[in-house]
Amino acid sequence: MSAAIPSVACLGVIGRNKSATRLGQQLTKSHPQNNPLHISIFPSYDPTANAFTPIRNPLQFSLLLSSTIDVFDLRSKTSTASGDFGLLHAIDDRLAAYGFETNTGVRMVCIVDMRGRRVEAGGSGVAGQGGGAAGASTASSTSASAAARSSVGSVGAGLRDSEIKPVFRAMQSAYVRLLQNPFYDPDEHAPLGGKGGRRITSKKFGDDMKRIGEAWTPGVTTL
Amino acid sequence: MAASKASRIGEEIWKTRIDKVNAELVTLTYGTIVAQLCKDFEEDYPEVNRQLDKMGYNIGLRLIDDYLAKSNTMKRCSNFRETADMISRVGFKIFLNITPQVTNWTADNNSFSLVFDENPFADFVELPDDGRAQNELWYSNILCGVLRGALEMVQMQVEAHFISDVLKGNDTTEMRVTLIRYIDDELPPEDD
Repeated sequence: MSAAIPSVACLGVIGRNKSATRLGQQLTKSHPQNNPLHISIFPSYDPTANAFTPIRNPLQFSLLLSSTIDVFDLRSKTSTASGDFGLLHAIDDRLAAYGFETNTGVRMVCIVDMRGRRVEAGGSGVAGQGGGAAGASTASSTSASAAARSSVGSVGAGLRDSEIKPVFRAMQSAYVRLLQNPFYDPDEHAPLGGKGGRRITSKKFGDDMKRIGEAWTPGVTTL
Repeated sequence: MAASKASRIGEEIWKTRIDKVNAELVTLTYGTIVAQLCKDFEEDYPEVNRQLDKMGYNIGLRLIDDYLAKSNTMKRCSNFRETADMISRVGFKIFLNITPQVTNWTADNNSFSLVFDENPFADFVELPDDGRAQNELWYSNILCGVLRGALEMVQMQVEAHFISDVLKGNDTTEMRVTLIRYIDDELPPEDD
């Protein structure tokens, strides 16, 4: 017997909101950019095919990320100091989007598939993942999946925000590491003139996102 | 002087006589310099390497006096092996708080490698992905210049260059230092 537990289906980083348009010497208006800086998609377990496939195609994920921007904008008026937006919206009975905004306005979105991974109820741990690259050690992943199993009954109720927090903490520190790289030019992402939207091309950052998305499972505290 | 004694001296000076500065400040400042050089010379990486070496040379000329004052070793190193130990265990220790391994001596004791297990300059760094930086840019090349400049002030002409760098995907970061000659105190050229 096996049970489904949540896994990360998509991690997105959305660029800062404001960029000024320069006409002549005068800053005329600022308009939203919301350019996607990075999108990572992770395959979910498909019990009918007994294989891992992404639950949506890249365009659909991109649209889901775009749809979270409105929620960010709405909530930012009454935003919390921590930057953690918690559950942004539940997309359907499987997918839910969680959000985090840094003080500089960079938004991080984690779309969770509530039944994205399978655990053997016998306790053999997490069934193989997409790339098989579970970052966590065996011991911690079994305990994590045990914790996950105990919360399986409450999947419909969603995850606690505190369970998503490690994802955002890890994403933020990966983003900070990216910014520390002297060859990375953050100005490209909020240029004067409004023509932005260049993506993060850093391989290290991409690898970090992949690691975070694959290693996370409810109950994991550090990524 | 035994290597262990050099380590002790380095540790002692590091603890008592060195003003500390935030590591990220150093890393980001150095990173900005290299990135700006790359821009200014339009990604001509061999030229960037030369500029870094030159900057390091000028630093070395000044730094050596600070080193000698702090290390209080009025005594000269008796041979090049001892010099190498002092560079690693005292020099690098007090200025960067690292002690690169001294290895790969040639038979004539004139050439050795410094293997850097850690390199505070290169934290966070990813070389530009333009297909050339990975091959041509020696990110920490300033260190070669520093050694060259500092040793020149104590009558040693050396040649230093990096032969591998973890930033390029190598397993280690290794600098090769070769003694060319001991400089005799020369008389200034006479103007006839």
